[in-house]
Amino acid sequence: MAESWKQLVKRNLWTENQVVRQILGICSSLAVTNLMANSLVMGLGLTFVTALSSLTLSLLRNLIPRRIRMIVQTLVIAAYVILVDLIIKAALPDISKALGPYVALIITNCIIMGRAEAYAQKNPPVASMLDGFFAGIGYTLVLLLIALIREALGFGTIFGYNVNLLGLDTWTIMVMPPSAFFLIGILIWLVSNVQEKKKNPAGKPGPAKR
Amino acid sequence: MDTAKEGGGVKHDYLNTIVFILVLSLVFGGILAGTNAWLRPRIDANEQIAEKRSVLEAFGIDSTGDAQTIVARFDSQIRPDTQQDLPIYSWFGADGGTKGYAIPFSGAGLWGTIRGYLAVSADLKTVLGLTFVEQNETPGLGGRIDEPPFKEQFRNISIDLNQGFAYGDDLDAITGATSTSRAVLQILNDLLRQTLADWEVV
Repeated sequence: MAESWKQLVKRNLWTENQVVRQILGICSSLAVTNLMANSLVMGLGLTFVTALSSLTLSLLRNLIPRRIRMIVQTLVIAAYVILVDLIIKAALPDISKALGPYVALIITNCIIMGRAEAYAQKNPPVASMLDGFFAGIGYTLVLLLIALIREALGFGTIFGYNVNLLGLDTWTIMVMPPSAFFLIGILIWLVSNVQEKKKNPAGKPGPAKR
Repeated sequence: MDTAKEGGGVKHDYLNTIVFILVLSLVFGGILAGTNAWLRPRIDANEQIAEKRSVLEAFGIDSTGDAQTIVARFDSQIRPDTQQDLPIYSWFGADGGTKGYAIPFSGAGLWGTIRGYLAVSADLKTVLGLTFVEQNETPGLGGRIDEPPFKEQFRNISIDLNQGFAYGDDLDAITGATSTSRAVLQILNDLLRQTLADWEVV
């Protein structure tokens, strides 16, 4: 794979961002993004699990029988998620309480298996780990952006600090999952437009061939 | 080693697959079992501290501070007790008299079990406080039952065994979390009816 460090980072954060370009990990993007703090911990948990599972699966890539590779991926991912859950419970009981069922739900996030299938099974270990790590960071950044808007408008706070200095009414809709649908939709549209313009600066957006 | 092999040598292939998945399961199962055994004492200790903190908070006693402070404060004033086969906690004042009881409750919320403590005065006429130990309600909506603005409403309100608690003048439900708000009152009112109504006042 002749992909440089820079290309790998740019691909994961921007051109193939998991949420806004690949449309993966949407469930959790809707569920946890009403508070910045929850989004951050969810994002970091996912980043950690994706990096480690990609590393492990890449190390095993030549040993895994193809027919059962998905079962193997699930097993490895589940093991890491349980590990993260145990460590958070032991070291950070307060955060564990705040996150409740979300940590266990990391396993259902398509991004992890997506990276395992699309990258780790045919690339060397270190590159796979970096790919998983930056895919997770790309996801985290989108979550934080959505959460910033939702928490500021829904609660008037950012990371729990009051920013609603004018005492404006907060929007209950922003606290509820439907608002994330709208925000993610708008974000997907904006990002696609910007990327399309870059690729094709003069002409109208759309495929070149007719 | 060679993925192109799939198809040929079927028997050999099956054996490989089975051995591989067995070994992998054993390795990862072993790692998890080991980690669990290693961290379990700490996790249990954390949960006990959280439980004690919750009981202290229900009584309105200062529940801040590190683990040792909490345990010391808890052990000096609170003793486990039973009432109608329910494990409750009794709060003793400096003079040895009972100042109140913390009664555990649990019931169905919107998404999962809600568990916590309702603390009442020794004469069962006043609620001293309400705390939650476990809840899986929507963060930011139902999850706000575990935040001070909701919980503190229950400090020092009088108990009417016939009427139970109701939203209205004294208590406010949470906007956007009607189901959770109702579930909490349902659980508390069941507790009043089933436990407090038959309480043997000592």
